[in-house]
Amino acid sequence: MSAAAGNAHRIEARALVAGYGAGPVLRGLDAAIPAGVIAAVLGENGSGKSTLLKVFARVVPIGGGDVLLDGEPLESLPRRRTAQRVAYVPQSVDLVFPIRTLDLVLQGRAPYGRGFVAETSDDRRRALEAMRACDVETLAERDAASLSGGERRRVFLARALAQEAQVWLLDEPTAGLDPRHRLEFLETLWRIHRERATTVVLVTHEVALAADLAARVLLLKDGRTIAQGPRETVLTAENLERTFAAPFSPRGSRFALRSEVLPAGSLEP
Amino acid sequence: MSCKLISVLASAAILVACRAPERVASPASPHRVVTLAPNLTEIVFALGAGDALVGVSEYSDFPEAARRVPRVGGLEVDPEKVAALHPDLVLAMAEGTARGAVSSMQAAGLPVAVIPSGSLDAVLAGIRQVGERLGRTAEAERLTRELERRRAEVARRVAGRRRPRTLLLVWPDPPQAAGGGTFLDDLLREAGADNVVAARPGWPVLSPEWVATAPVEVLVIPDSDQTREAYARASASGALSRGPIARARVVRLDESALTRPGPRVFDMLERLAESLS
Amino acid sequence: MKRSAITLGIALLVLACAAAFLVGGVHLSLGDLLSGRGEEGQTARLLASLRAPRIALAALVGGCLALAGAALQALLKNPLADPFLLGTSGGAAVGAALAALAGLSPLVSPAAAFVGAAAASLGVALLARRGGRLDLQRLLLAGLIANAFFSALLLGAFSIASGEAARSMLFWMMGSLADATPRKVGALLPYAVTGAAVLVAAAARLNLFSVGEENAAALGVDTERTKRVVFLAASLLTGVAVAFAGVIGFVGLLVPHAVRSAFGNDQRTLLPASFLAGATLLVAADAVSRAAIAPAELPIGAITAALGAPLFAWLLLRTP
Repeated sequence: MSAAAGNAHRIEARALVAGYGAGPVLRGLDAAIPAGVIAAVLGENGSGKSTLLKVFARVVPIGGGDVLLDGEPLESLPRRRTAQRVAYVPQSVDLVFPIRTLDLVLQGRAPYGRGFVAETSDDRRRALEAMRACDVETLAERDAASLSGGERRRVFLARALAQEAQVWLLDEPTAGLDPRHRLEFLETLWRIHRERATTVVLVTHEVALAADLAARVLLLKDGRTIAQGPRETVLTAENLERTFAAPFSPRGSRFALRSEVLPAGSLEP
Repeated sequence: MSCKLISVLASAAILVACRAPERVASPASPHRVVTLAPNLTEIVFALGAGDALVGVSEYSDFPEAARRVPRVGGLEVDPEKVAALHPDLVLAMAEGTARGAVSSMQAAGLPVAVIPSGSLDAVLAGIRQVGERLGRTAEAERLTRELERRRAEVARRVAGRRRPRTLLLVWPDPPQAAGGGTFLDDLLREAGADNVVAARPGWPVLSPEWVATAPVEVLVIPDSDQTREAYARASASGALSRGPIARARVVRLDESALTRPGPRVFDMLERLAESLS
Repeated sequence: MKRSAITLGIALLVLACAAAFLVGGVHLSLGDLLSGRGEEGQTARLLASLRAPRIALAALVGGCLALAGAALQALLKNPLADPFLLGTSGGAAVGAALAALAGLSPLVSPAAAFVGAAAASLGVALLARRGGRLDLQRLLLAGLIANAFFSALLLGAFSIASGEAARSMLFWMMGSLADATPRKVGALLPYAVTGAAVLVAAAARLNLFSVGEENAAALGVDTERTKRVVFLAASLLTGVAVAFAGVIGFVGLLVPHAVRSAFGNDQRTLLPASFLAGATLLVAADAVSRAAIAPAELPIGAITAALGAPLFAWLLLRTP
């Protein structure tokens, strides 16, 4: 698409209003995410950051304003076509029924199959390749319900990879992971992002994660954007204090917000 | 006064209010009688005490005079309606009629007499009991002796006769029959019939397969405006349209006389015995 | 789709039908049926003409209920979903009963039952909605309330109905296959085929739903449309099953659970296999109901409830 080829934004929200039920969670939000970057959406609980991700994933309908994917209005695109371009990795999935891990990854191929059936040998090959890339190939025959939190995150990452989408939407990707699994997960994500130039939008309330991983940062409060742009210009003490309504200190009083949680440069190339 | 004392007094007051009322014994010859089943209404009339009735059950339509008495409910009796009539005798059936209503009326002190009706013997015993309660022992004695005499006459007539295999259906589709231990089982046996479902107690709903293949020679069905259409449909295309039962001899007996354990059941006994001869 | 599961399902169904054909309160001799002349042959043919449509009706009704249950379980991501527990069957029975009470022709009863079933599903789903999603506990509670309400309505209708209509109410409340005829089987068949075809065609979408509704939406499924289609098809299957056989509970709960334990949760196998297994279960249960206390019949709903209620309790204990 010509719009995507230029310096236009891959995903853009203009005066976006959205939310479940009674009051909208997003109230006139603006966001612009360029192609090929990792963008972090930071905000307090309830600021609307997960809802924003779900609107991009077409899980939550748009209530007002516009969302553009590669310059085209999201709602004018067939749902299936969107799913071929945008992959959503949920924070956690409560698996009620048994499902083989490989079948879960194969669901990433569903947007390509007739009647959402994904069972060709090509689908299978791509799914297994994706699992190899995310280091979960050995789990293929296991019941996904029996996987650990870290394994499950990487399985969903593999699914996004099998989905061959240019945009990945990650909801709280490291929540609940212990340091080792967190590191493994982030390294896999970083590697795939660099290899394929995937656009990644990740939602988090960890300032450190945004600081270490993201080239661009969006700060959300009460369903609106406080600031957005390159990490260096957005992650200022003043902006963070407004976002989290808490004192921020780069050098650190004992309990103030800090960014030195990850070993510095651990993920940099 | 402490709160405790108040609450003790309050509960005492409630207990006093809830104390069981004195049981009102019915007088030697009651003149405000309520019946809770149509067969009991018939018995009261048969004993010549119809004028004493102040309330009857919904379906009391025999004799004609019973239709003019106020109603107190059908399958569900309304105890308040009964109480409001200030009866000095309430007659209830031991089988069937709402047990709950009967016990609440008893608890409220109404003079309820529960009359048996589960067999032909019980029907006669019931007539005697009603007679005692109404102060009409002589009438009851006379009536039961007459009924016993007719019953014995039927027994004499059918003795030694071949007993045709008979099915009595109280409803055609799904077919529900008079099984063993019912007063209608007595009636079939004493009228010289062989009840094909005598081995199954109560009022069994029969399977269509069994009905279609049972070697029934005589089919007894209760006849009324309400049942006629249903039986016609069942014999034309339903459960009674196939197999031996479709070719069985049909004996139609008046529904209200046949299905109510009252004096007229003995008319039906004679009629059935006659039809089978 | 696992072919082995479908093959096994068909084999078991054929076996169950054959056994049910030979079992009953009255003995049916195959020899008499095939070559019998005179009285014996006549009796055997008569029995066969009664039993065959009954077995066919049992199979269709069981298949419809089990398939509706399996699809609802996947759609709602809830192994406790069942047309009986969610009040869909009760709504169907009320629809059919009201039509009978209004003196409408029995031909209308499938349509009335369908309307009742759809209205009940919709009402229960609305009651169970919380913050834009269906809440598991609320769903079961809403089903409970709906069932209590429908029982009361049926009892009310029963007490003001007389004669024939009252008997029909009892039929819908208790559930029975006793008055099966080839015509009824023929009338049920097109509805069953339509509903089943719609649900089986939605199997791959339901696979995505059984991980979660958001999951399905994110993978490109028009979830609102799929929900409508599946709810309507499940209501159609439940409605016609109730219209022709009354309320028979727990089939939709029992069968998908058993099939899932044996063959996994892939809806493309689970849905058709549940139809076959539901058919098998009800054919077998009906044979038991005919044979157990002959010449009377055990209500078939009592048999399915005796099997289903303990399973429900067990599933409830295992649900976190």
